[in-house]
Amino acid sequence: MGKINLTALRVRETALNQFAAGKIKKLPQWVEVVGDIPPAEALIRNRTPQHQLVRQRLQTNPDSSKPQVVFEVQEKRRKPKKPSRLFKPVELRYEEDQLRTEFFRDHPWELARPRVVLESSGKDFEFHDWSRIQQPGKKLDGESVVQRQLWLLNNVPDMTKSNAYDIARREFYKLRLKEDIQRRVAAEEAQATGATFGPSYLEIGMELENEQHEKWKTWARLEAQVMDQRVVAMSGAPELAMESETERPADIAQETEESA
Amino acid sequence: MIVRRFGVRQSRQLLALNRRSPISSRFLSTETQTPVDTAQKEAPVSSPNPLHEVVQATQNPRSLAQKQFKKQEQQRSKFNKLGSAVTDSHDPEGLLKNPPRPSDITLELLLASGTHLGHSTSRWNPQNSRYIYGIREGVHIISLDVTAAYLRRAAKVVEEVAARGGIILFAGTRKGQKRSIVRAAELAGAYHIFERWIPGSLTNGQQILGHCATKVVNAMDEELPEFKADLADRPSVKPDLVVCLNPLENVVLLHECGLHNVPTIGIIDTDADPTRVTYPIPANDDSLRGTNLIAGILGRAGEAGQKRRLEMAQEGKTLYKPVTAGELRLDPFTGVLPGAEQTKGPKRD
Repeated sequence: MGKINLTALRVRETALNQFAAGKIKKLPQWVEVVGDIPPAEALIRNRTPQHQLVRQRLQTNPDSSKPQVVFEVQEKRRKPKKPSRLFKPVELRYEEDQLRTEFFRDHPWELARPRVVLESSGKDFEFHDWSRIQQPGKKLDGESVVQRQLWLLNNVPDMTKSNAYDIARREFYKLRLKEDIQRRVAAEEAQATGATFGPSYLEIGMELENEQHEKWKTWARLEAQVMDQRVVAMSGAPELAMESETERPADIAQETEESA
Repeated sequence: MIVRRFGVRQSRQLLALNRRSPISSRFLSTETQTPVDTAQKEAPVSSPNPLHEVVQATQNPRSLAQKQFKKQEQQRSKFNKLGSAVTDSHDPEGLLKNPPRPSDITLELLLASGTHLGHSTSRWNPQNSRYIYGIREGVHIISLDVTAAYLRRAAKVVEEVAARGGIILFAGTRKGQKRSIVRAAELAGAYHIFERWIPGSLTNGQQILGHCATKVVNAMDEELPEFKADLADRPSVKPDLVVCLNPLENVVLLHECGLHNVPTIGIIDTDADPTRVTYPIPANDDSLRGTNLIAGILGRAGEAGQKRRLEMAQEGKTLYKPVTAGELRLDPFTGVLPGAEQTKGPKRD
């Protein structure tokens, strides 16, 4: 059969041949179905779709009062493609890719925010209108800025990339600030009506640190005692060690009193 | 006084309950009281009235809990109208409970189900180049319009085979595909495999599936038990169409289908070999949501075909050539046996 196995694609022919040769007594029921709905063509290479980066801009003309829509297509490469790459799929590129990388390079922590990537119908985009940055049913995030910037670039006459970025960013910051204030007010309201939020992260951290300090204190005391005993043993005066042991608790007690 | 008597007289069963017999305070009292006073004090303190006592006696914890539950329910029904109503929320079971029909296939639905995501570009099978739309982030993107077209075609095949009374087998042996496979088979009146395909189930069916039960049904799918004896020495039943959700893992199944000349439908990812199956569906076979969607659509198509077949059978028509009783009685090993003429029907598993 060679390298390529075409058995699956030729089931109908095989069945008809077997029937004609008398190997099977009856044609299977699916033979006419497969005849009516033939299998797909396999192993035929078509040229894969070629994608080009297209930019849409609105330009004002001194001659006409109306701004003109201009489409800029990315220039073709000087060196033509190798013939062997003719049937290879091409990279998909969109204008917002660059806007996205730029935004997230400037705001890396935006990537740390949780995001919903699930869609039930796939038609969420129908409810989005990027003439404003806030959308119903979509949380404000980096993607909002990117889409808003793209809309500005496509629909506002003589808009530059940095200008659009600034406008979109400003709207975004304003709304983020508003969200912060809303959150704070909500927390205050809740506290005023009797809600308790428990210790804050800072307080929990301090508590853990205190615990470690206490542990260190007991350990250091023990170490000091051991060292003293060692010194006494070297000098050969056990009564000194007894003395120091009796003195030490008193010293510590005094110290703690002083510190308090 | 009259009421108490009435209660005592009318409710023997209540009196039969195990409880302290009512003692009139009249007989209990040691103090001298004016009759007027007793009448006044009696009423509020406790009940000499047997009806009241009975009510007290049945107040066990269970009735208390019932009361509490009732109260909660009332409260819930009262306050449920408050707050916001969640609409259009995502239902992950939706694809299993109510799968879409072939007519509901849209590019948006396929996109939302993630059927467009292929494999890393380095793992591609160049035979799939015509199904691929482009490369994104180092991953091949399958063309959604091609997926939709091939899926519709496959659905049509399933429907037609079901309408001709063919035996359809749904196979999906990956983890998590069990429920969708079972559901699709249930809808299409088909058979399913969600565990390993035992190699040789087709090529060595007599040994592996020989003990399995078979039956003869008529065109209305009613079993005809009088033919049970004739099924003894028959070869195992072969499917007329195999739907495979993961052709990569089921190479043996597809190979056996090729040997036995059975048409197959399979989900072909960018790293799979499209010539393994008769009807490829270029789609992502790693996303459970995607495979659930495709299995559901094919199940719905099978359902439509079965419905059509049964409707035609009601009118006494069939799209297939029915097997006569004489043919069924014919034993392949011993020779020809005489049989009845009037009963007929397709032989099904």
